Amino acid sequence: MYYIDLAVTGISFGCMYAMMSVGLTLVYGLLRILHVAHAAVFALGAYATVLAANATGSIVLGFVAALIVTPLFGMAIYRLLYEPLLSYRPDVPMIASVGLLVLMQDAFRIVFGEQGVTFRRNAFSFTTFEVAGVTISAVQIAIVVTAAIVFLGLHLFTTRTRIGVGWRATVSKPRIAASFGIDPIKVRYLNFAIGSALAAVAGGLVALLNNLVDPAIGFVVSYKALAIIVLGGLGSVRGTLLASLVLGLVEAYGTIFIGAWLDRDAIAFLALIILLMIRPQGFMGARAA
Amino acid sequence: MLTDRITPSALGTRALLGFATLILLGVAAATPAQADIKIGFQVPLTGPAATDGKSAQIAGEMAIEDINAAGGVLGQKLQLVTYDDQAKSDQAIFTANKLIGEDGVKLVVNGSYSASGRAAAPVFQKAGVVMIAAYGVHPDITRAGDYMFRLVHLGPPQGAATALYIGKMLGLKKISTITMDNDYGQATMDGFLEAAPKYGIEVLNKYSYSLKDRQFGSIVASVKRDNPDGVYATGYFFTGGPLVAQLRAAGITVPIVGSQAFDSEKFIEIAGPAAEGTYIIDSFDRDRKDEALQKFFNGFKERAGYAPEGVAAITYSAVKLMADGIKRANSAEPDKVRDALAATKDFPLLEGSMNGFNSLHEMIMPIHVNEIKDGKFKPAGEVGDLNAFAPPEK
Repeated sequence: MYYIDLAVTGISFGCMYAMMSVGLTLVYGLLRILHVAHAAVFALGAYATVLAANATGSIVLGFVAALIVTPLFGMAIYRLLYEPLLSYRPDVPMIASVGLLVLMQDAFRIVFGEQGVTFRRNAFSFTTFEVAGVTISAVQIAIVVTAAIVFLGLHLFTTRTRIGVGWRATVSKPRIAASFGIDPIKVRYLNFAIGSALAAVAGGLVALLNNLVDPAIGFVVSYKALAIIVLGGLGSVRGTLLASLVLGLVEAYGTIFIGAWLDRDAIAFLALIILLMIRPQGFMGARAA
Repeated sequence: MLTDRITPSALGTRALLGFATLILLGVAAATPAQADIKIGFQVPLTGPAATDGKSAQIAGEMAIEDINAAGGVLGQKLQLVTYDDQAKSDQAIFTANKLIGEDGVKLVVNGSYSASGRAAAPVFQKAGVVMIAAYGVHPDITRAGDYMFRLVHLGPPQGAATALYIGKMLGLKKISTITMDNDYGQATMDGFLEAAPKYGIEVLNKYSYSLKDRQFGSIVASVKRDNPDGVYATGYFFTGGPLVAQLRAAGITVPIVGSQAFDSEKFIEIAGPAAEGTYIIDSFDRDRKDEALQKFFNGFKERAGYAPEGVAAITYSAVKLMADGIKRANSAEPDKVRDALAATKDFPLLEGSMNGFNSLHEMIMPIHVNEIKDGKFKPAGEVGDLNAFAPPEK
């Protein structure tokens, strides 16, 4: 049962990472910018979920609020921060992005307090189910189910709708897509809106899992999501999903063998180094010529 | 004013320097009026330690106000000179030098983390400045020299007292340990692991996590498999809260014992109903019938909007002790204050009465334990066998 417990943990970690990192991958795929401030979007989603849930008494409304606020914030980042810098080398917008992340972390601290915020009524976080000796928490189920729905939806959106197909086309062949009448600027906004919404959902779920949103909550995302998109092969959504799951499982099972010496992050990054030595281009990256 | 000090731009610093010089000249020319006694104060107001820094700052200011309201010390008022050290070594050294060079401070309370206290200690020692580290637990702080004092139990003694409490007082023998892998978490756990065999404790498995981590799924699954009599975890309330919640959510019902820095109302808020039955070692006794404590507790809550935690209480006491040292020395000269502090006997801290300092200026005091019951901190005994967790001597 122990190994299944760990698998449940690993898969839920993986789903969470996937929702955190896909936004980063989308931005990188489209604009070749390392969107480090995505971590701030994630944190904003977490704060919005908790604050709105506490104000309304409904966790669902908390998520709704986060899904309204964060896409706007994501699009604002594009419009106000990245667009004016697009003509420069990609490291210029990246540094601006790091700056925004640091600024936002302190902004969260000043506005919402150093101590962080918690859900006021949240029986959900403490609900668990025992299935044949395996413990699964309600939040873990929510994470996996949400991730499945979200990624299935994303898949259908990008293969079955005109705007979704246009989006994909713009990412892979921007010029040809434009000649078919697809507005590349609209695609960019769409890109930031969807990536940010995903991060917001992940943020809200992590808030439920921890019952705590503190100013540092985005920190883990800022470096782990970067590692995941590199491991996935920069710009590949499928690679990102695979890398997220692999990292989640490695972290979960890693504690059995080296948990006394290394923490979860260290195990993850050790695995990352080894995997990148074997496959420098990442799981789905194109092999360099 | 304070913000000028906290984030001086290069130009601002120069302007400030020039300004300070002018003022100094002006003061020198004027009559040497009864000046205030300055107490240097380093606290982390920005960065990841800002939670504790804010509490320490409020507590420090309250102490100064209380002292001055009672007529000050030796007929003089005390004045706090506060700098943000971001709990970083470089910033601690920078602000220590500012305190010495620009502000001419001779007495300092370090209300910050180990990284700060450890870096600032040699700077102050060299300048002959007395420093009380309110809650910085790194051993190097007092080893820097005889001007250094510490008002908190070192990690290893706290760990040793924990072993006594778990093995002897709670009678739990099979323990899984969870270590936060920073200085504080590891040093405390080391003390526990070393003393554990003395009390018949068998450590089933050891796990560690990073200060940044809030998701403990894999550790929780492993602890569940261990099936221990109890769990001992080191960490802060913001790691301990989610950890305890997740352990309980997995159906682990055995007692959980947490290290001192679990001590915060926020811990109970985060862990919610899961916090019940958690023991916190070296946690401060909020119910103690003590007028000063109750006054502080209410005053702090009014000012901060949340209840004070151990960090706030000890920082307040550190400033009070410094004032008491000045009074007993009958002088604000650092050498005399140092000798007076070293001779401290049965001084009333907010947490209770401290016995005094040992030869290395480490605090000697029994360790109080709280248990969370009905969402409140409730006294759960005291480890009073001072020899079982004696701090290192010089």
